[in-house]
Amino acid sequence: MSKQKLWISLSSSVLRRTLRLTTCSAAKTRSLTYVSPSLTISNSENFRIFPSRGFEFLGNTQLPGKWSLCTQAAENIDAKCWNCNAEAETAPFLVCGSCRCIQPVDQSVDYFQIYGLEKTYDIKDDNLERKYKDWQKQLHPDMVHSKSEKERENAAEQSARVIDGYRTLSNPLSRAIYILKLEGVNVDEEETISEPHLLAEIMEIREAVEEAADSQALNQIQSQMQEKLKHLSNLFAYAFRNRNFEEAVKAIQRMTYYERASQEIVKKL
Amino acid sequence: MLRLASKRLLQGLAPREAQSPAVQLLPRLYHERVVDHYDNPRNVGSFDKNDPTVGTGLVGAPACGDVMKLQIKVDDETGKIVDACFKTFGCGSAIASSSVATEWVKGKQMEEVLSIRNSEIAKHLSLPPVKLHCSMLAEDAIKAAVKDYEAKRVKP
Repeated sequence: MSKQKLWISLSSSVLRRTLRLTTCSAAKTRSLTYVSPSLTISNSENFRIFPSRGFEFLGNTQLPGKWSLCTQAAENIDAKCWNCNAEAETAPFLVCGSCRCIQPVDQSVDYFQIYGLEKTYDIKDDNLERKYKDWQKQLHPDMVHSKSEKERENAAEQSARVIDGYRTLSNPLSRAIYILKLEGVNVDEEETISEPHLLAEIMEIREAVEEAADSQALNQIQSQMQEKLKHLSNLFAYAFRNRNFEEAVKAIQRMTYYERASQEIVKKL
Repeated sequence: MLRLASKRLLQGLAPREAQSPAVQLLPRLYHERVVDHYDNPRNVGSFDKNDPTVGTGLVGAPACGDVMKLQIKVDDETGKIVDACFKTFGCGSAIASSSVATEWVKGKQMEEVLSIRNSEIAKHLSLPPVKLHCSMLAEDAIKAAVKDYEAKRVKP
């Protein structure tokens, strides 16, 4: 229960942020003011660390992600609304087309399907934020606060999932880990690695971050980190396209180090 | 500085953990030894890695992107570790594990420290299962430091 609450407040903080970007009614913003401040901060950091927009992938031979709802319709064809029993018209079936009722979470629907994207690493995420806002307009718990408990629970879970999906897909590193997981490849998290050159470099970076005198110095390191991350993201994309999962995992591991350094910088800025 | 940074890290985590239902059932409090090593880390610092009597172990955990450096200074004739230091960018458990490791290797023979197991460090610090990999990192760092020293001796 309290986990759900956490999700709700997380979702609200994201929503509040996105709503601020769009024109929204004053009433809506008011209803979202229970967000815990610490969560808001950590969240907005996440957004700052990964601008992730404008990632140009070298040798991008695949089509960029686009809406492909029709391909997923077959998977959900048997789904029926729990409330009005109407058949699912669209996939992913998160909201009933006829009674607008929010459906329970279906774990077999992955984040790419929720966001109507092809299952490729090189997504063009121009539409991601818009799609995210669209979903939240339909799924956010605040929209159903006067409805039944079941619907409120569904809203909490669905909107949390949509947020998680947005975060996962918009960040190149988590998107890489996620798409590998969908292929059945898990990145071994317990393993210790000893790549002297990489580790020595990371050690130097972390020391430089710790000793950085001003924000200018930090920003300079940050732009180096973004550069490295972009390069590794390209390497991952290439390896993944060729189904070279070993190289793909390596790229992810390296990315994790730079990302960690990047997070430290954001904390200090 | 290191301590400050990690303290901030822990504080940052605190409000989130407080809301997790697991916390109420099983409070994840760090053992006082972790807190002690973390507040007063022993042997923080660096030796010159080009010094032939110094062995450097540099290891990292790809899961969290943390790095740990453990260095030993060895008496060439006796093979005894006369001094040790560490520098860790990571969580409290990783800092405490490496701090304990430097304490344990000091004054011991090189062969002796190779038998230090991560389970001993974890037990000493009462690390929770999710933090066992931090002690593993410390064990690997000791081994890497000895290996580095020996490699240097073969071809100086």
